[in-house]
Amino acid sequence: MEHNTVHFHWNMLIVFYLFTAGMSAGAFFVSGLATYLGGARYKRISRIGAMVAPWPLSLGLFALIFDLTKPFEFWWLFLTVQYTSPMSIGSWLLTLFSIISFIYLILWIPRPWRDLLRVPYTLADLTHLRAWKPLNRRAVGIARRVVAAIGAPLTIGVGMYTGVLLGAVTARPMWNTPMVAQLFLLSAISSGVATVLLIAAFIHPKGDHDHLHAERHFLVSLDAMLIVLEIFIVIPFLLHQTLNTWSSAESLNLIMGGPYTLAFWGGVALLGLLIPLAIEGFELFPVIWQEQAVKYSRLWGGLSASLVLLGGFLLRYVFVYAGQVSHFLPLYVR
Amino acid sequence: MSENNTSPKRRWVFVMEPERCINCEACMVACSVENVVPLGEHRNWINKIERGTFPDLSAVYLPENCHHCANPPCERVCPTGATYRREDGLVLIDYEKCIGCKYCMMACPYDARYVNEEKTAVDKCTFCVHRLDEGLPPACVETCVGNARHFGDLNDPNSEVSKLLATHDSYRLYEEAGTEPAIYYIRT
Repeated sequence: MEHNTVHFHWNMLIVFYLFTAGMSAGAFFVSGLATYLGGARYKRISRIGAMVAPWPLSLGLFALIFDLTKPFEFWWLFLTVQYTSPMSIGSWLLTLFSIISFIYLILWIPRPWRDLLRVPYTLADLTHLRAWKPLNRRAVGIARRVVAAIGAPLTIGVGMYTGVLLGAVTARPMWNTPMVAQLFLLSAISSGVATVLLIAAFIHPKGDHDHLHAERHFLVSLDAMLIVLEIFIVIPFLLHQTLNTWSSAESLNLIMGGPYTLAFWGGVALLGLLIPLAIEGFELFPVIWQEQAVKYSRLWGGLSASLVLLGGFLLRYVFVYAGQVSHFLPLYVR
Repeated sequence: MSENNTSPKRRWVFVMEPERCINCEACMVACSVENVVPLGEHRNWINKIERGTFPDLSAVYLPENCHHCANPPCERVCPTGATYRREDGLVLIDYEKCIGCKYCMMACPYDARYVNEEKTAVDKCTFCVHRLDEGLPPACVETCVGNARHFGDLNDPNSEVSKLLATHDSYRLYEEAGTEPAIYYIRT
């Protein structure tokens, strides 16, 4: 009787969910960062990030819920807080983040539509619906910054949680390292940047082109930095797994000649990290060496962003699937 | 076995004697019948382990089921508290609270859990808790033809399992993972 045959109890729905949760967290993070660092200069990307942030996660949560054996009883998650369960903490984090990201989205709705939202300005107005007024410019500006600041730690939490979910499992040597959470967090922010970059490259650019160059510079240098940091985690991950216990070294074989080698090296490393980094390096080259502005290019922006997203998805695919194959050493008789 | 089997003073354990196991799988059949385990799934199983190199070969069979760990990774990761540890150390599942996220299945180093499609919940060996509470041993123990499976209270020095462990060398599986499993194997 073969007991330890591999069943993939976590499948593509989980991969999709981990990817979209990261994407949402990343998009919110970039939007908030752009708001604080650039203000009016990066307004377009702040808005794109805010508009995008809640949606991937919402889709991902559907995937997650329908992966349950009892999709319609997911609410059991919210009757308790299990401090030792990353999934329990994560459920609460995701809920909080979803609420914040929807509030943030509302604050970034452009002018004529935003005015449909009316709020009371004084306590006395509370009971007089007619006295409620649209948010004024200043109030919106402050509210955006406040909500972005509240959301920032949540985005880090969500991005990290997707990795901790896997990393907390001792029984799967491929997952059981803090580097998975670090890698997933950076990849989450990177896929958020890529989403914003992709949309920013394809919606009709309005206004002067200096703006577009400046925001492209911001996004590309941020993403290039994130990719470099990801590589700085992938390399120690490979080294440590090789030099760790026998079962860790065995688990690494899954991506070093095993069934996930192509997905990891071809997909995650080459398509997802190295090629986008090369494209972004090519875009940043004139900035660094010739002190010119980054050129706004749909082709390069769209290509590197798409590849980063593909790589982010494959990273989660490789870890979710290969991780489930990874196992403690086979039993032996003493 | 006496009454009050759920007392926290008890520590229910299995002691397996691999040398007595002949891989007849009667324990698996008894378990499936006793616990109405869906076809294709099993709560207990037998590992076949080969030793030596040709021509000095031998095979040893390690019967296994849920280890009811004292430090259960499955319980730790359960997001709804569906997996819990009873006072006497049994690791059980509240099938109503289990939403089937399968996180526990990732966390179990023994792969002791399966999805029970009929219950739409995750399921596993319960040490036959319903029999235990009536003072009966688990079905697999009762049916074992080679007497390879022993079950009892480790905190009772006069129990069969305590005596076996006192007189034999034993080991546990993946003990180094810190799970504190409750299945002991007599060294062969």
